[in-house]
Amino acid sequence: MAVTIYTTATCVYCRAAKKLFSEHNIAYTEKDVAQDAAARSEMIERSGQLGVPVIDVNGTVVVGFNEPKLRELLDIRG
Amino acid sequence: MYELVIIGGGPAGAAAGVYAARKRVKSLLITEGWGGQSEVSPDVQNWIGIKSISGIDLAQKIEEHVKAYAGDVLEFDEGSRVVEVKELVLASGSGGPKFTLVTNKGKKYETRSILVASGGRRRKLSVPGAETYDGKGIVYCATCDAPLFQGKEVVVIGGGNAGFESAQQLISYATKITLLEYAEEFRGDSVTREAVLKSKKVTPITNAESVEVKGEKFVTALVWKDRKTGETHELPVQGVFVEIGSIPNTEFLKGLVELNKYGEIILDHKTARTSREGIWAAGDATDQPYKQNNISMGDAVKALEDIYLWLQKKKSTT
Repeated sequence: MAVTIYTTATCVYCRAAKKLFSEHNIAYTEKDVAQDAAARSEMIERSGQLGVPVIDVNGTVVVGFNEPKLRELLDIRG
Repeated sequence: MYELVIIGGGPAGAAAGVYAARKRVKSLLITEGWGGQSEVSPDVQNWIGIKSISGIDLAQKIEEHVKAYAGDVLEFDEGSRVVEVKELVLASGSGGPKFTLVTNKGKKYETRSILVASGGRRRKLSVPGAETYDGKGIVYCATCDAPLFQGKEVVVIGGGNAGFESAQQLISYATKITLLEYAEEFRGDSVTREAVLKSKKVTPITNAESVEVKGEKFVTALVWKDRKTGETHELPVQGVFVEIGSIPNTEFLKGLVELNKYGEIILDHKTARTSREGIWAAGDATDQPYKQNNISMGDAVKALEDIYLWLQKKKSTT
């Protein structure tokens, strides 16, 4: 399972998403788009979105902290 | 059967939780998350007892405090939202009222009393283009997304505290910030206001009504109307930061308690009682005019004191 999350340091929904990953032992790559201009362009291009978090789960792009969708994609139950 | 269900985990709900547990009122607190709307605030400077704290850290402190009382007296249903409340037994029936609550996850609870502390949520922009460009230049969380507007020109709609806070964060990133206020004058605390208006990047405009958001793939301009002259102007921007107040989360109470025309719960402010016996309310969901964390907490405590006395009285008469 490959999970990438595009974040900014001050984004509370990013923090909530990362908490969900940690609670279920899901490894993820974090890209801080405030610091990393290349990651910022990549995120905007891939999601068509000017806002964080953007989360990529095995190639499926989820915009925002959409918990039900993330649980489904990550096969988290309960 | 609970004695009390508290709806909400913001300052009001959490304060009520602490007091309920300390009074050993058998309670359940249902919340989607902790800390309320200030969670996205970069820096809260008016939380009495703490000079400066981020919204996220404040939320965490609130959660920790109320959870210190978790146990047989105070239980939690987290990540859930109440979607329906029904009165099972009428207040005039034996032993007072009884209610059922249903959450968005289908869980059902029974209780003798309810404290509504469901707060408010962000009001969204409703002009043409607002939906199309949501997330494509229109931003509702400056704290989250301000860094994405590095080197860009932006507009902030709303000249209250939240609007000034957004502008303040944008000063570090954007090249030009126009601040629009619908009314004759800006609102917001003088401290933040003065700090923002000092910046050469900021252009403040009052009497300004937003008319349309224009764009291609992303936002390219905001059209606004001068309410005094009636003239419209097109402002070239890549970001539109919206801070135009909040809407009370009270839809699930329609028909059960009296709401005013804004959807706020009408309270007896001495007791925090709603129009229906057995239901109390506190915080931003109510018609209390000043939406402040410190007030929400105090009002919830006031409600809890009245709930406690009411429950004691019910117990002694049944």
